[in-house]
Amino acid sequence: MDLLPSEEQLELLSAASEFLTDQQPIRTLRDRAGQDCAVDRAQWAAGCDIGLLTLGLAEEYGGSGRPLDDEALLFRELGGQLAPGPYIAGALGARVAAACGDAQLAARIGSGEEWVGLAELRGDGEIGPDRVKGTFDLVDAADCDHLLLVTEEGAALLPPPAAEQVTRVEAIDPGTRLATTTLAATEPTHWVPAETERLADRALVLSAAMLAGLAEATSELATEHAATREQFGRPIGVNQAVKHACVDMAVRAEAAVSQALFASVSVSSARQDVRFQLLAAKSVAGRAAIDNAASCIQLHGGMGFTAEHDTHLYLKRAHVLDHLFAEPADVLAELLTQGAAQ
Amino acid sequence: MDLDFTEDQLDFRERVRTWLAENKPRDPRPDDPQGVREFDLAWQRTQWEGGWAGISWPAEYGGRGATLAEQLIWYEEYAAHGLPSIDACFVGQSHAGPTLITRASAEQKSFHLPRILRGEDIWCQGFSEPDAGSDLASLRTKAVVDGDELIVTGQKVWTSFAASADYQELLVRTDDSGTKHKGITWTVCDMHSPGIEVRPIRTMEGGAEFCEVFYDEVRIPLSNVVGGLGNGWSVAMSTLAFERGTAFTASQVHLARIVEDLIDYARDHVGPDRRRPAIADDEIARRLARARADVAALRAMTYVGICRSMQSDTPGPKGSMLKLHYADLHKDVSALAMEIVGPEALRRGADRHEQGWVGNYLHSFSSSIGGGTSEIQRNIIGDRVLGLPR
Ligand SMILES: Cc1cc2nc3c(=O)[nH]c(=O)nc-3n(C[C@H](O)[C@H](O)[C@H](O)COP(=O)(O)OP(=O)(O)OC[C@H]3O[C@@H](n4cnc5c(N)ncnc54)[C@H](O)[C@@H]3O)c2cc1C
Repeated sequence: MDLLPSEEQLELLSAASEFLTDQQPIRTLRDRAGQDCAVDRAQWAAGCDIGLLTLGLAEEYGGSGRPLDDEALLFRELGGQLAPGPYIAGALGARVAAACGDAQLAARIGSGEEWVGLAELRGDGEIGPDRVKGTFDLVDAADCDHLLLVTEEGAALLPPPAAEQVTRVEAIDPGTRLATTTLAATEPTHWVPAETERLADRALVLSAAMLAGLAEATSELATEHAATREQFGRPIGVNQAVKHACVDMAVRAEAAVSQALFASVSVSSARQDVRFQLLAAKSVAGRAAIDNAASCIQLHGGMGFTAEHDTHLYLKRAHVLDHLFAEPADVLAELLTQGAAQ
Repeated sequence: MDLDFTEDQLDFRERVRTWLAENKPRDPRPDDPQGVREFDLAWQRTQWEGGWAGISWPAEYGGRGATLAEQLIWYEEYAAHGLPSIDACFVGQSHAGPTLITRASAEQKSFHLPRILRGEDIWCQGFSEPDAGSDLASLRTKAVVDGDELIVTGQKVWTSFAASADYQELLVRTDDSGTKHKGITWTVCDMHSPGIEVRPIRTMEGGAEFCEVFYDEVRIPLSNVVGGLGNGWSVAMSTLAFERGTAFTASQVHLARIVEDLIDYARDHVGPDRRRPAIADDEIARRLARARADVAALRAMTYVGICRSMQSDTPGPKGSMLKLHYADLHKDVSALAMEIVGPEALRRGADRHEQGWVGNYLHSFSSSIGGGTSEIQRNIIGDRVLGLPR
């Protein structure tokens, strides 16, 4: 057993992290506020160049063929840096293309030439190999070339609806673009049944990893602030009210990251209780990300309530990710139906 | 002990109800500083003309001079009518005004108090600075006496409504030779004075309701100082207590409305199983019921506090318990709403004045920071109410 990142993994991560801090610092979220896409096309392609979407994709499809725990570590980084853009949809979209044997599409998605946005079914509808219909939230799907839909039964790629069928909605998070659309029966261009590959499981790993990364980032931000901000002639962190709040955040982050990694390894090692582990990861990470962001705001005082400081961006992103791929209430309900952990 | 109101008080409630129903503003409150200013002042003027302005102010200063019970009734009815919180007029009404009443000279009172009541001026509070928030007494904005003027240089921050305000209650340091609580001076500052620059700061809920205020050699007549040079700390403290007086009733009634609105929402909207209404979900139902119970207790606490104030003039440190408990409940209820609305939580939706649940949630973060953080309230309660060793 080894749940710690290897030297090689750490190197890979530091490259990604450097790219994000240099090329897509958090301030870009504010700079691009009024734009259709949360991320610039050239920037997106540059991220694809260093393999941000294709780390786990087989080499024959242009990927790096790394195990899922590598991807979990990468997405934890993307989450913690509030990276804008449809990363999960892109990574899974390339996988759907690959699983369908469409090497060309996998390559175009992996290189950033074609974009994949996410569609989340809201209310009644249908997602299957022959047709997709219903009302969907479109997440970071502006200007995209494909829509990704993920269910327990399988995953699909669809052509995006015409612009006039899409209604834009202001998202809670300034780094996420949201829209809604109602699709009449549409046939997917690609379909991967769960028996071939469980993309829903990978989606849970990647979203839990991003949430865990968010929880970690706000924990670090708050601890740093507590150590440097002075009131009453001493750093505010000397007060137990502040110190204990920081400690609670660190514990929540550690729990979230550990469980997200445990879940990622559970998928690759095909553990029997994999579903249990995934659901636990999503639930723990979702709550940690929201609670830590809320504490982080509180510990920043007046500054925490501003739009200029980053703290609220973490809170808002956490709420978005918490509702992707599985509703928090559904995660808990399903977790209870599972047998005990192995 | 009893919960009965007298005939007179019941009659008072009737009159408040009728007047509010007939006179409350019908238009939505604008979002821009100028619009907010005009809207809030117009509503203040209406209250003045109706004889309701300055509900807690003594009659000799033009106020209504209402008893504590009547104030409670006024604020309950006010909030029950879904009226806008007094926002831009808050500092003038409930902070600077009462400070002037307790500490200002006859001349200062006769100039400012009628203007506040008649809805002519907006006031803001210039206390916090970048390095002086919880530790307010360490403030550094400097004022030097020059003839019959103060020359002020420095910076304030998080000043709500500074962009709409005419006057500011300003705390400055006139002497830094002694301990930090000494050498602070409370002065009225004309916000239109040369040398003042106001920069609005956007908040996480999207509005621009607070500001940074920069002072570059701003000249303020010495006659604007209230309570004498160097006595500003005690002047400021004489009214911090007002923030937790009866005016707080409105927030509590407002929170009770939020809970009831949320219960209605949970009845009318589908819940986590996508079939039945949200309220059919056991966990949601219990948490909503608990919120109802907690808010009921918050009202009882308010009543007890008011009864206590009836017996002694100064609202004691127990007022901090109300503020703390309110902040906790407001945040809990608002976070619960985010769970009940499910994926609707992704949508920014209507602004908080229209009671969007997302807007309400984002707004709730201010309740444990503004007016003194919850950590500081806990310190105050631990020290002054419980008498724990420091
Ligand atoms: C919406 C809003 C409106 C406001 N309006 C005004 C206004 O009109 N005028 C004005 O002057 N100010 C205003 N404020 C400022 C407000 O009073 C301050 O933000 C508040 O007092 C906290 O100060 P700070 O922001 O410097 O935080 P800090 O004092 O730096 O606090 C940071 C964190 O440390 C904690 N902390 C600090 N000291 C201690 C301690 N001894 N023990 C335990 N914990 C501690 C705090 O609780 C907080 O969590 C407003 C703030 C908000 C959010």
